[in-house]
Amino acid sequence: MRVELIRLVALSILFALVSAGCARPPPEPQELLAPTEEQMKIRNLQTRTFDVADRKVAMRAVISALQDLGFIIERANEPLGLVTAARFAEPRYYDVVGVTVTVRSANESQTKIRANAIYNNQPITDPAVYRNFFATLERSLFIERN
Amino acid sequence: MRVVEKRRRPRFGRFFVLLILASLCIGGCRAKTSRVKLFVLSPDSAANKAMQTRQFETPGSDELLSASAAVLQDLGFQITESTRDLGFLRAAKERSAREYDQEIGRGVLAFLTLVLSALGGQNATIWMPVDLHQQINASMIAQPVHDDGRHQEVRVVFYRLVWKGSGVSGNQTILPGEQKMEMIRDAEIYQYFFSRLSKAVFLEAQKI
Repeated sequence: MRVELIRLVALSILFALVSAGCARPPPEPQELLAPTEEQMKIRNLQTRTFDVADRKVAMRAVISALQDLGFIIERANEPLGLVTAARFAEPRYYDVVGVTVTVRSANESQTKIRANAIYNNQPITDPAVYRNFFATLERSLFIERN
Repeated sequence: MRVVEKRRRPRFGRFFVLLILASLCIGGCRAKTSRVKLFVLSPDSAANKAMQTRQFETPGSDELLSASAAVLQDLGFQITESTRDLGFLRAAKERSAREYDQEIGRGVLAFLTLVLSALGGQNATIWMPVDLHQQINASMIAQPVHDDGRHQEVRVVFYRLVWKGSGVSGNQTILPGEQKMEMIRDAEIYQYFFSRLSKAVFLEAQKI
């Protein structure tokens, strides 16, 4: 009696597994590289224009802001306007936050700054994160200009 | 009847496995840092900045950068990255991370678990993995303070990555390579670096 019950449970688990494997077709690959509305939204969150004419001043402000936030500057390229930095998500020493900032001239008197942040290889999409970063950057730019 | 007897036997091994599992779970539940907070200035950021920053009077930014590279080399670092336009340097050195405290702790735990597993009649000996190897890194930026180019501000950050060795828990092997990262916030290390740098800058300025 007991053995039969166990056999029945085992069979039903097996059936459930098999049917789950059959249920979902593989995702369609065509949409993988197409721009989505979500991506546009994230790009808008990550980008901000500042009233700074000199790109080098903007880059130095970006570096200072990242350092003040406790980031370690990993790579910096002045001609391309690239800064890559990382920090440990203290007090958890096993998690890493990475950020790449690009600084480009928008026009003669303005500079466009874009930041991409990742948490353990997962992109951060929380608007508050980018708002906080740009607030720190604004403060750093103010110090740099005065 | 035999089954009942088996149940009554003390199961030290299982008890310890459960204890370790529980401690791991509690460790895993430690407060996760909020991602939003990671991009907000912390109360100690001003103190960290003061510790990591010094001003120097130099003939030019190139002289300061080469003096900094020389100091890092004197301290055993290899320069891994440099950008002249932004006064950026990054350096690394690899060292052993073995410490007496950890080795003693590992030995004591292994002895205790060995005794308990002998009492319980099951192999539940634990050899905890200890820190084996570390990479100490430095990331440095030199920025001009005024437009005259004679005053430069240097900000340096030291941090380390630590790799653990292998261990054993009962009949299971714990694989080596677990990684831990840590900012170095010992003020003495920064003071030592800056005192070496100020000497090097002076020597560079006097062409000695």
